[in-house]
Amino acid sequence: MYYPTAHPWTEDETLAQHLERRGVGRREFLEFCSSMAAVLGLGSLAAPKVAQAMQTQRRPSVIWLQLQECTGCVESVLRTSEPTIGDLVLDLVSLDYQHTLMAGAGTAVETAKQDAMAANEGGYVLIVTGSVPLAEDGIYCTIGGRTAKEIVEEGARGAAAVIAVGACAHFGSVQSARPNPTGAVGIRDVITDKPVLNIAGCPPLGDVVTATVVHFLTFGRLPAVDGEGRPLFAYGSRIHDQCSRRAHFDAGQYVTVFDDEAARKGWCLYKVGCKGPATFSPCPIFQWNTRTNWPIGAGHPCIGCTEPHFWDTMTPFYDRLPDVGGFGIENKVDLIGAAAAIGATAGVVAHAAVTGVQNRRKRRDLPIVEAGTVKQEEDNNG
Amino acid sequence: MTATAQPVAATPKDPPPAKPGYRSVYLWHWPIRAMHWVAGGCIALLVVTGFYIGGPYFMTPGEASEHFLMGWMRFLHFSAAAILVATAVIRVYWLFVGNRFERWQALFPFRPRDWGHMVQVLRKYLFIHPERAPHWLGHNPLQQVSYTVLYVVAGTQVVTGFAMYGLSNPGGFFASTFGWVAPLLGGHQVVRFVHHIMTWYFLIFLPIHIYLSLRADLLHREARVSSIVDGFRFVRADVDFIDE
Ligand code: SF4
Repeated sequence: MYYPTAHPWTEDETLAQHLERRGVGRREFLEFCSSMAAVLGLGSLAAPKVAQAMQTQRRPSVIWLQLQECTGCVESVLRTSEPTIGDLVLDLVSLDYQHTLMAGAGTAVETAKQDAMAANEGGYVLIVTGSVPLAEDGIYCTIGGRTAKEIVEEGARGAAAVIAVGACAHFGSVQSARPNPTGAVGIRDVITDKPVLNIAGCPPLGDVVTATVVHFLTFGRLPAVDGEGRPLFAYGSRIHDQCSRRAHFDAGQYVTVFDDEAARKGWCLYKVGCKGPATFSPCPIFQWNTRTNWPIGAGHPCIGCTEPHFWDTMTPFYDRLPDVGGFGIENKVDLIGAAAAIGATAGVVAHAAVTGVQNRRKRRDLPIVEAGTVKQEEDNNG
Repeated sequence: MTATAQPVAATPKDPPPAKPGYRSVYLWHWPIRAMHWVAGGCIALLVVTGFYIGGPYFMTPGEASEHFLMGWMRFLHFSAAAILVATAVIRVYWLFVGNRFERWQALFPFRPRDWGHMVQVLRKYLFIHPERAPHWLGHNPLQQVSYTVLYVVAGTQVVTGFAMYGLSNPGGFFASTFGWVAPLLGGHQVVRFVHHIMTWYFLIFLPIHIYLSLRADLLHREARVSSIVDGFRFVRADVDFIDE
């Protein structure tokens, strides 16, 4: 275990020196580098390269902005029960300006931030958690008298890379759910002139943040991303395809209500609304709280928090499909569909009955004639 | 029959003998007939397996390793979908080389007089002056519209289906070809929802389709059903047809 100190990684130290001072052995460091290489999908051959790049690394300048958010991401990323080497690497996050962690306050820290940005113009990494409210000129989130939009635009201008951490910075999360009263949007909707990497999730996995930073330090650029701007090494496959309950899915074994026999046996959570089949995230592999467990492992269906607008699109969380809008929760799509299909069948039967009655009446009224010789009286189109 | 273009498949030389007062008309070439039954079978299989995938109504007991129920359902679903797409390719090709009952023009009854006809057919089915409705050899405008909608629904099912299918292999052919679907509709769950709700069209269509076909056969002794089996339809010799 490595406990955080007040000033973990000083300006002129290399990472190797820093880790040594913190009591990390060479072997542990190499293990960490190979695990990071594996996480990034680089293979074990890349581990020496990662190690080489990491140990000569000097502390990069990282500016961390917290906007419209709940601080859960910061907690997820910076605090674990047992800090690992990965957490030590994340100590690079400057404590000079991090709302949750900084000691200073007021004009002093705002000035410190401005100085840091000016000194590292074009070289610092900008990490943002929280969304940007655009409604009513952004008055719903102001820091030091300036709106979130101004702050993030200013921060991105001189940044070498912009990393949006968490669902709020990704697309606006819960505050952007319908009807989105504050007009909250993600960072990529505000910063359009440079790529924004999204570390999606509510909150995201700290390991993904660590691995992304390691990638940046090793190669000097951000990792490859998918269409959502999420790093592919982490968000490249579906939860459903990595899930420990998948065998039960394929076998046809499902939990129907929480706490039934199937739930005790650990069967698949598909019928209680699991969104694993539509969600890309490494949760099943990385897991949470120092790999203690993860939602599906603990018996809760995935709610799809790494997908854009999941509060709107993945709800109801405990049902397979969305509700039909405006009909209330009782009217499920299948009810409506079945009613229509039964209605069509009933209509057909009724139509046949009316036809039968009419024919009988007609037969009573008309003299019997040979088929084919009677003048056409009826329709003939099926 | 006066076809506007020469159909690719040969029209049979000798029609089956018709009873006195009837004549037989050749309507559907064999690719269309084959496509009808194969696609119908596929859709039936797709509906049954699809409803299982959407809300598994059977559970298997015991160890997961002993069963593969959902696995088989998905396998059958995907296989039937692949065959359905193959029939769609044939149908689309035939829209351009078929006879005038089969061509793409027959899918769109949107000329001004068609609207009037459509109302007349509707009234006929509502027992309002059925004798006034005109007659068609091929599909009447109401049929044309309902079949066109069926094609559109089936096409939507194929597109949304492949979009979901692509999820299991991001970066693969289906994921990249149909990657635009989810953002367009507003997320993967909406894709699922659309795919699910569209299924009901087939179940609403089916009883009406079977009833009206059988009705023409049984009530008016016109051999509608046989036209999709051997291609010939028997009609009364004394009736004029709009699309003769
Ligand atoms: S629990 Fe969810 S992610 Fe896991 S197999 Fe079932 S549906 Fe898929």
